[in-house]
Amino acid sequence: MSAEIEIHHLSSTRPQEESLTLGKWFRNIWTGLSTALKGMMITGKYIYGVKPVTIEYPEVREQLPANSRSRLFNDAENCISCYQCATACPVDCIYITATRRDSDAEKIKTKDGTPIRLDLHQYTIDTALCCYCGLCTTVCPTECLTHTTDYEFAQYTLGGFKYDYLAPDIREWRTRLVKD
Amino acid sequence: MFEFVNEASEPIKSDLMTVNMGPQHPATHGVLRVEIQTDSEVVARATPHIGYLHRCMEKHCEHLDYRGVIPFTDRLDYLAAMNMEWTYVLAVEKMLKTEVPIRAEYVRVIIGELQRIASHLMFFGTYAIDLGAFTPFLYAFQDRENILRIFEEVSGARLLYNYIWVGGVWNDLTDDHLVRIENFLETFEESIKKYHKLVGENQIFISRTAHVGVISKDQVYDYGLTGPVLRGSGIDWDLRKNRPYSIYDKFEFDVIKGEGLKGQLGDCWDRYYVRMMEMHESIKIIRQALAGIEAGPVMGKVPKIIKPAKGEVYMRTECPRGELGIHLVSDGTKVPYRLKVKSSCFTHVSALGEMAPGMLIADLVASIGSIDIVLGEVDR
Repeated sequence: MSAEIEIHHLSSTRPQEESLTLGKWFRNIWTGLSTALKGMMITGKYIYGVKPVTIEYPEVREQLPANSRSRLFNDAENCISCYQCATACPVDCIYITATRRDSDAEKIKTKDGTPIRLDLHQYTIDTALCCYCGLCTTVCPTECLTHTTDYEFAQYTLGGFKYDYLAPDIREWRTRLVKD
Repeated sequence: MFEFVNEASEPIKSDLMTVNMGPQHPATHGVLRVEIQTDSEVVARATPHIGYLHRCMEKHCEHLDYRGVIPFTDRLDYLAAMNMEWTYVLAVEKMLKTEVPIRAEYVRVIIGELQRIASHLMFFGTYAIDLGAFTPFLYAFQDRENILRIFEEVSGARLLYNYIWVGGVWNDLTDDHLVRIENFLETFEESIKKYHKLVGENQIFISRTAHVGVISKDQVYDYGLTGPVLRGSGIDWDLRKNRPYSIYDKFEFDVIKGEGLKGQLGDCWDRYYVRMMEMHESIKIIRQALAGIEAGPVMGKVPKIIKPAKGEVYMRTECPRGELGIHLVSDGTKVPYRLKVKSSCFTHVSALGEMAPGMLIADLVASIGSIDIVLGEVDR
């Protein structure tokens, strides 16, 4: 190891500056000052008459554009349990359980007239895994699974991000989040 | 009288000191660790260590269908996600031999060039921060916000868009968007000149960047550097011009090269200059695209399940940080057999070891900033 230790006396590879004359010294000061002043003129214009662009968040809440991809919502009544969203999901965060509906049970349809042939027992999305890519919403045939523009959904625990869309408290979001 | 005599009359023997810059360091633009061996303030050797942001993206893609890969390509270079998607989608389209509607091509060019502006603005802001100026960062973000807002309205997300799809684009740009883009370009062209005057012509900035981190033409060829780093060394090469993909052959624009205006050819200032002037070229391209855009569909005919025939393609495009290459191998099933990403930032990082010896530590910060790396693309 000791053989590898060389005598080091490195100097910077920057080109050596020429020796300083009095004229050059003054010229340096002039270029430094004038270019700094030019910059100050540009920044100075921002003192007055420029609208602030910062949104002061808790007081002012921004309205996201209509097709913003934020919190997912599934309107379980219109879901036909076709599994297309779960298949399209690149991170596999949609869990669906459904069984065949009894043939003598009452015939029900979704809002757009598609017959529901399966009973939905579980529709859970783990939004902590979700990457908000929007692929699940584009394949949904009845358009019951949508991205809403709600962006305030912090939780204290990781488990809180598992949204069971059949639970009554989450179903209540419908009135708040989904615009028909 | 005391007289200090250096008896050995030779330089004082000193050992090299090893300093770790990063992985959590504001000047390394992410989680890059550079192991520097220094002699006082001069760098003797710099070894970049990567892998802190490795997410097995290429392996993941072997389990996903061709559409599901697009959100993952977003996460390569998250500051230029549109260009990343575009490259991947072009590779799949080349494999499927899909026709893309002409309006979709125009929309892609507009979006891609806006993304290039946004990415270069990010470089401009963070590079100024690296060198100790804070104001340009705020200016850059103010303009970048306009672009991101348009992206948010059209795709639904601000950074990871999943907007460019196989066969076209997800949503169409409305007339309102086109007008807003035009108005934005109008104001932005003025402000970009202002920013260049504020930063690029400032004497402090010039002293920090001119003659620093020089990459010669030979080194560019040796390391296979691409993008603004290549053009900063005075080489005339732009894939949009030399190997036109999409509809880039329809547009008139210049390839900006470094000229060594303030220092010597291929220094940090030249690379900064190339990026600033490229924004003007992007504005030119977007204006021509806005003038030429035609009405029509934005989504072509694509089978519901994408199953390309057995074979492989290689597609490369000019992304804001350099060439991105996608090598896609299909075995005839609905998942890719192999997806290899050739990233430009990875090669740029490797050149750091060659640039560094003999540099001051402060100049190393300027050099890392000037090659403009995004660690998401380096590690994948």
